[in-house]
Amino acid sequence: MLTASPPTRLRSPRRRRVTRGVIFIAMVVMAIVMLYPFAVMLFTSFKTENQYLAGHGTSTQSWHQLASSLPIFQQLLNSTIVCSASIAIILVVGVMAGFSFAKLQFRFANLIFLAMVSAMMVPLQAILIPEYVNVARFGLTNGYLGAVLVYAALGTPFSIFLFTTYFRRVPDELIEAGIVDGLGYWGVLWRLALPMALPAIATVTVLQFIQIWDDLLVGLLFLQNPAERPITVGLAALAAGRTTSIPQLMAGSLVSALPAMLVYLGFQRFLVRGLTLGIDR
Amino acid sequence: MAEIVFDRVAKIFPGGTKAVEELSLTVAEGEFMVLVGPSGCGKTTALRMIAGLEEITDGVVSIGGQVVNNVLPKDRDIAMVFQNYALYPQMTVGQNMGFALKIRKLPKDEINRRVQEAAKILRLTEYLDRRPKALSGGQRQRVAMGRAIVREPQAFLMDEPLSNLDAQLRVEMRTEITRIQRLLGVATIYVTHDQTEAMTMGDRVAVMRAGALQQVATPQDLYDHPVNEFVAGFIGSPPMNLILASLQEQNGELVLRFGDQSVVVPSSYRTSHRLAHVIGARVVFGLRPEDLELASGEGGALLEATVDLREALGSEKLAYLSFGADTEIVQQETPRDDGVPVRRRSRVVARLGARADVHEGGRVTLRLNADNFHFFDPETGASLRVGAS
Amino acid sequence: MSTSSTVTVPNATPRATRRASTSLLTKRRRRVGVVLTIPAFVLVGLLIVWPILQAVYYSMTYWDGLTTQWIGPSTWWQALHNPTMWRALENNALLLLAVPFALAIPLAVAVMLHQRVAGWKVFRSIYFLPTAISWVVIGLVAEHFFAYSGTLNSLLGDVGISNAHTDLLGSESTALIALGITFIFSMIGTNTMLFLTGLATLDTSLEEAARIDGASAWQIFRYITLPHLSRFIQLAFVMTIISAFSALFSLIFVMTGGGPGYATTTMEFLVYQTGFNQSQFGTAALYGLILFLITAVVGIIQLRLIGANDS
Repeated sequence: MLTASPPTRLRSPRRRRVTRGVIFIAMVVMAIVMLYPFAVMLFTSFKTENQYLAGHGTSTQSWHQLASSLPIFQQLLNSTIVCSASIAIILVVGVMAGFSFAKLQFRFANLIFLAMVSAMMVPLQAILIPEYVNVARFGLTNGYLGAVLVYAALGTPFSIFLFTTYFRRVPDELIEAGIVDGLGYWGVLWRLALPMALPAIATVTVLQFIQIWDDLLVGLLFLQNPAERPITVGLAALAAGRTTSIPQLMAGSLVSALPAMLVYLGFQRFLVRGLTLGIDR
Repeated sequence: MAEIVFDRVAKIFPGGTKAVEELSLTVAEGEFMVLVGPSGCGKTTALRMIAGLEEITDGVVSIGGQVVNNVLPKDRDIAMVFQNYALYPQMTVGQNMGFALKIRKLPKDEINRRVQEAAKILRLTEYLDRRPKALSGGQRQRVAMGRAIVREPQAFLMDEPLSNLDAQLRVEMRTEITRIQRLLGVATIYVTHDQTEAMTMGDRVAVMRAGALQQVATPQDLYDHPVNEFVAGFIGSPPMNLILASLQEQNGELVLRFGDQSVVVPSSYRTSHRLAHVIGARVVFGLRPEDLELASGEGGALLEATVDLREALGSEKLAYLSFGADTEIVQQETPRDDGVPVRRRSRVVARLGARADVHEGGRVTLRLNADNFHFFDPETGASLRVGAS
Repeated sequence: MSTSSTVTVPNATPRATRRASTSLLTKRRRRVGVVLTIPAFVLVGLLIVWPILQAVYYSMTYWDGLTTQWIGPSTWWQALHNPTMWRALENNALLLLAVPFALAIPLAVAVMLHQRVAGWKVFRSIYFLPTAISWVVIGLVAEHFFAYSGTLNSLLGDVGISNAHTDLLGSESTALIALGITFIFSMIGTNTMLFLTGLATLDTSLEEAARIDGASAWQIFRYITLPHLSRFIQLAFVMTIISAFSALFSLIFVMTGGGPGYATTTMEFLVYQTGFNQSQFGTAALYGLILFLITAVVGIIQLRLIGANDS
């Protein structure tokens, strides 16, 4: 366990500098380790299959061939559609329920809230089989709806948890002011509480986006139609194939990793704030 | 006729707590009524019942002659100023003030006109485009008032609006609020725990304690003729001295005894106060700090005391005096459930002139102003003055 | 002569009944409250709660996609005697050994970042990036790292220790280790973020007071930082364990396909394999329920602990 020395004004400046230097080096080492997969993907992708096996050489051939071995644009599109639809549902349902549990005391509210939160602990595999059967029965294995509903159901409990915690911080006085001014509770939610919940919305969006975009199992089972395959399933299929070119696989992986990374980097600021407020209860 | 009426209004919380008991009170049109009392006395609950934010357990509340028990807050034609201002953080000052009007779908130019006017009255015109977080406490408070003003309601309800401001700002805003209220002439109920605010701002003041209304009267009336020990001790700063003494008949004169002191009570008090049943027994004797002065020469009701503590305020001196080990000075505290006042030993406070010659540890002789004795029943705390209900 | 003279008492307004009648506002509040919760209720109920009940039913049937046959609770008895299942559970249990690492390393990293040495924000972003990319992708990269013809061995070769060439993924005893290492790697980002959040919420005045009192850095860490972080550590603990029981699927699918043999088949992979490769839907549902029971127990223990802490 690293014993971290907090920067103090009591130690000699030189010792302090040394400590900070050590920390800096440690962080760089860590960064190298963390970035390693990216480096691998990057370097490997810029080779042909032969160059990869030989161990040296660069070329952009694999990138050119990527689109032909993998319907990559279609799959990216599929992933995007499924992600967006699921997140939309998760946000709307979560905001509504979260506000309700946080501020609108009604009978059994606490009980239902507890039930929702415990639903967070249900692993997908436990409900996978029945879920598949149900979805198939309704003919939803074709089309996005089945997968979207499953993702939405899986992501909602956490979303509710976060939004409830977040909305609890809205001062009651503010809501009362809205009531006196003429809003109904519905209006209070959408016009007063929601604008204040932007960090929480960003947090849920980022976390769920990563979760759904990167998911394999649901996509594997509920989006079997090749035209609807998300990128993760496409990659996995490619990896399982015999004639797969590793560089192409790496190129595809990079492409698939990019959106999630961008979303994360874009929403980073909110993520920290949202998590802080959500957990600090 | 925009008067506000509480008719035997009660509030009992689900746990059984009686927050407000049988409150009957009428606020006339244009009147500035202050509800004052220690925390937990029910004043805020009463206010919220008018606003419609608190359910009414019993009794009837009417605004402008109309019973509003089951009317939504927004339909009661009232505007409220909250203790923490409750400004909408993502809207500008102008939007905050105009929000209620926007919801009621008033025409834009009308909204604009009202907002501009209110901003002028409150001197907020240059801040109309700022967000609340860019404002100081005092400015936020004014925006909260502006939000209420533009509504042109039948009644203003204010819940301790000044308690979050620093002392100097509070004094400044006190006069502002009073000025604006006079200007607009709207019936106002103002809740506070600060008796100074109550005394300086109210047309009438209603003193509450533990859910029950103690007395409602003009500030001066409350000061001169408090109806019980609690009101006597609550209104006025420093509070009225309340001394537990025994009242005796001696040579045809009424004499108060406490410790080793005795004070002659002028016989006029026999008629102005109902003292018969306490003669030979104990009584609570009330005396305001300013009714004590350093005695010069002989004559008059005199007391000897030791100066325990001395506070020099510049304009005056406060002397904290003690008389003797067994003198019981009464101080009002939160009563027990049976309503019996809790007493504790304290000191008598005298308000003396700035040049008064008092030293800590020294002995002084004080003259009491015999025109301003107060008497209270030692069991109930009720004033013994004839005519005090 | 029968003029009834009624004395009109000025304030004879009808009293509200003694029992508090709910005000209009309260009624509306409750109504909106219920309505707002309905979508969540329906979604979670239909797609999570109901399937669990169904799973219980299915778990007691024999079902291969063609025929369904009710068997009854004896299926559970059978499952408990199935060596494959125990192997899977064993694998899960072994992977739990990775959890302490998956907590300790992020804690150290978070503390490091918290020192706010130059550029820490950049490093923070970098550390979270692997989490952002799919487990599938990480798995693919890991697979090629650990494979016999893979990067690890070529690195070892470059350094000159080609004798230590390993076939981590090919050998039963070590495949799980490779999986575990990859798991730890994937969890570093999330948990670091979590702990960093926790550290950020720590009141610095506590730290400063302790320093003035003369506490050493280690003492400050042990008596002030750690207790405050306990809530976060608990949360990370639960999340990591749950991940170990459910999220590893992608890694396994891509890295080893459960093998060699059943060396890396964990419960979550077993459910998929039994159900969709072997078409034993009933048994798969059963395994899924066992998985649920395990995570539920973990969750409940956690809640008890948290409940005990928050006094």
